[in-house]
Amino acid sequence: MKNLAIIIIIISWMFGLTGDELVQKMDDRITPKDSKVDMVMTLTNKKGKTRESSLRSTTKDDGAKQIIWFLSPADDKGVSFLKIEHDDKDDEMRMWLPAFKKIRRISASKRSDSFMGSDMSYEDMSTRQSNEFKFKIIGSEFFKDASCYLLESKPKEHIRTEYGHHITWVDSTLFVPLKEESYDKMGKIIKEKYFIYTVINKYQILTEIKVTNIQKNHSTTLKFNNIELDRGVKDSYFHERYLKRLPK
Amino acid sequence: MTHKLKRWALNQALEHSRRTVLLTLFITVIIGSGVRFIFLDDNIMNMLPKDIDSRRIWDEVIEDFKYTDFMFIAFGNSGGNILNSEALSFAWELSEKFDDIPHVDEVISISTLNRMDSDDGFLEVGDLMPHKNMTEEEVASLSDYLKSNSNISSRILSKDADYINIILRPKSDHDFPGMVAAVSNITASYQNQYEFHFGGQPHLTGAIPALIKTETQQLMLLGLFIMAAILLINLRSLPAVGMVLSVIFLSALSMMGFMGWVYHFTQTSRFTFSMVNTSMPIVLLTIANSDGVHILSRFFREARKHKDVKKALTMTMNQLMLPIFLTSITTTAAFLTMVSSPIATMTGYGATIGFGILWAWILSSTYLPAVIHLKKWNMQNTAISKPSILENLIHRFGRSILEYPKRILATGVVIVVVSSIGIWFINVEVNIINLFKPGNEIRESTLFLDREMAGSMNLIVKVEGDLKDPEVLNKMVDIQNYISKFPTVNTTFSIADVIKEMHKSIMDNDPKFETIPETRGKINNLFTMYSMSGDPDDFEALVNYEYETGLITAMMQSVSTKEIVIMADQIKAYIEEMGSEKFITETSGMMMFLKDFTNLVVQSSINSIILSIVIILFIAWIFFRHWKFGLLSVIPLTSAVILNFGLMGWFGVDLSHFTALLTSIIIGVGVDFAIHYISEFIHYSKNGIGTDEISRQVVDDVGYPILLDVFSNMGFGALIASSLIPLVHMGGLMVFAMISTSLGTLTILASVMEINKQNLYKTGNA
Repeated sequence: MKNLAIIIIIISWMFGLTGDELVQKMDDRITPKDSKVDMVMTLTNKKGKTRESSLRSTTKDDGAKQIIWFLSPADDKGVSFLKIEHDDKDDEMRMWLPAFKKIRRISASKRSDSFMGSDMSYEDMSTRQSNEFKFKIIGSEFFKDASCYLLESKPKEHIRTEYGHHITWVDSTLFVPLKEESYDKMGKIIKEKYFIYTVINKYQILTEIKVTNIQKNHSTTLKFNNIELDRGVKDSYFHERYLKRLPK
Repeated sequence: MTHKLKRWALNQALEHSRRTVLLTLFITVIIGSGVRFIFLDDNIMNMLPKDIDSRRIWDEVIEDFKYTDFMFIAFGNSGGNILNSEALSFAWELSEKFDDIPHVDEVISISTLNRMDSDDGFLEVGDLMPHKNMTEEEVASLSDYLKSNSNISSRILSKDADYINIILRPKSDHDFPGMVAAVSNITASYQNQYEFHFGGQPHLTGAIPALIKTETQQLMLLGLFIMAAILLINLRSLPAVGMVLSVIFLSALSMMGFMGWVYHFTQTSRFTFSMVNTSMPIVLLTIANSDGVHILSRFFREARKHKDVKKALTMTMNQLMLPIFLTSITTTAAFLTMVSSPIATMTGYGATIGFGILWAWILSSTYLPAVIHLKKWNMQNTAISKPSILENLIHRFGRSILEYPKRILATGVVIVVVSSIGIWFINVEVNIINLFKPGNEIRESTLFLDREMAGSMNLIVKVEGDLKDPEVLNKMVDIQNYISKFPTVNTTFSIADVIKEMHKSIMDNDPKFETIPETRGKINNLFTMYSMSGDPDDFEALVNYEYETGLITAMMQSVSTKEIVIMADQIKAYIEEMGSEKFITETSGMMMFLKDFTNLVVQSSINSIILSIVIILFIAWIFFRHWKFGLLSVIPLTSAVILNFGLMGWFGVDLSHFTALLTSIIIGVGVDFAIHYISEFIHYSKNGIGTDEISRQVVDDVGYPILLDVFSNMGFGALIASSLIPLVHMGGLMVFAMISTSLGTLTILASVMEINKQNLYKTGNA
């Protein structure tokens, strides 16, 4: 199996698979139209203390539209968050604060801002576009028995980012990232990310993400359960009136 | 035993002079070669003990949160408006550069802080400065925001908005000198653009060692020059001065080498060369100088009498071997009492200087007589044939003192008793700002930060309770309001401020909602909302992970330890009065620790001084073979100690850890004179000089080297010219110790012995 993978990589190289082409293949991967998942997010600080939250999320269009409801801890229950990404204008983000009985629009003006207090930033969660990054395959390596391309992504000069570059271990047959290291502009590693998938209805679906901020010694683990796919969620579902209703 | 040793040493010096000189030089070089292993430790924080309660509390706060004391860098130009795009761009650039310093954990500045805006139901947590080069509109918006958010602007902007304050939070206290040097390197090239002011405890502790080193080196060289000049004027022989100085340098070399070797073999931090150790060479110079001065001046007197080098040298060494040995071991013993100091490096200090003193004794007993013997002396030379001005002076001085011994004694006792009353007025207090003379750059910068910015130091109140409970948070606000009323406090901040700001923002910036929300649910909603765009570390310095412990930080002007204690006590009383069933508080910070540390050092220094006096008493008792001489030997020293502390009380000089420590160090310099005096008295009582003449003869013989020693060491009074008060104190105390112990010997001790000479003559003769 390993030999076969190596042969595939060598053949790919012979036929000159470029970084951009690899990224294209990753983008072309078939994904569900929408999904509903329950998540458990565990934050661990440098002293080993943890904070756990459980959330329910419904997404559409590869996460471009998303609603998240907080289920626990009790203090957070009922808080919900709506995000709609736009290509031509700033993303729309709203939050339902049940204690205030108010919906508030919020903004993360910096892509490096943390998402929900986790070690993932908005930048980490967004797809890297070829007009913003230079992609290059810099080698191949096995990661947990899977043959991988080592994809280097360097931001173009006009991009405002906290990162200097990323190296991603991309499964050479499934074209999904299995591991990623993100470095700062001085070349020091900032974050390490690990991705675990399972196959549901022919899709490669993420079941766990672990992100460690090496410099801050803080980590976030996100585990996905009760995954339901292609439920036919309509666009109108991503509206603030649904924020106030916790779905079953 | 001592006679055998004395004979052997004298025999080596006189019969094998060349071999003795070469051998002592060779051994000194071997010991001195350890200098290369000396480990310089510039960080004052490493000297401070970790087992004091207030230090433990402070360390816990740092462990739970972050380092609590900041370094401040203010830049701008007086009277100008700093809120312009050029200055803001510079603040951005500086902040980025400071952030790259490895010692810096966090940069708090106009370019790193967040703002919360609310408009038409839109809440934004964004940067105060969204980018480096701001447009005029953005600058105006920033300016307006800061005007309406004084809790933010008070930390990063001067009162007249003409300076920007950049606050650096160190990662730890491991290398403040390195951090200060890195900041200085960054700001050096911009000094012509803006006026810079630096402050804060990390800056003070980081900058002081380098300043002390530089000023000590310069003033010590000046002191040495003055010492050499005074020796030359009085000894009137260049080779003689060279001989005294060679003993001094060889002793200092071996002392430093010893320290290096011990560190090399043990790697113990007790033998690192810290800021305190910079005083070691000065202290040893004065002690080694004393040995050389006594031997050479005595040699000249004996040579004048006997016109024969060997005989004069034999007479000199026969008479001085014992007192020099005694002064060496008593001074070493006095320094060894420092092992009880709460400052770890003082153990190394005491042991190292003790070794230096003993090596100075070996050199004075072997190398120096051998060198004197090797030199071809011209007996007709005025240095030998005629007494010096100082010698004539002491002759006249001695006669007048011994004429009225009772009056002299009574005057001395009255002075000591009156000054002793001052001990009750001694004020144990440290104000860091007072370590620098007015006009010193650090002092002026600190005063500027105190006057124009948020201040240069802080006080921490740790609050333990449910920090999402509105009642607890409201009490935190009350405590902050109470602390803010102290005139020395410029601003306070805590998690309660952030909650109030979030509350106002979510309620469409309505100022009436700049309060703690009334329910826990609302508070929690605010935190959750903030987490959607804020960094998880944003509150790390304000509240712990579980929201169970928070800090109230009061940024304030530089005050003394006494004032901080009064403030802490009043805060405690206020909290108790307001009722605090749901939370507990503790006051902490560098100043609280410094207060305890100062008390501890003062206590241990006083113990060390008392122990030194007792040890000296017993050593003198044993070697002079009678308790009376033991008691007499400590009279000048005890009088000097009483005078020192008494006058400090009368003249309002605060007793700080510096002054206490320096007193215990420098007092060791002044133990010699009495021993020389008593030793000479016993010598003459055994050698047939009658009771009528004995005191005059002793004053003539001992008075001159004592005065020459005192005068030559006055050179180190040059330290008084330093801009650093610890060095001024050191110079002042050195001069004071020299004058008080020499005068104590030549007046009080001389009078006591003159009055009791019949009795003491018999005792000495026995």
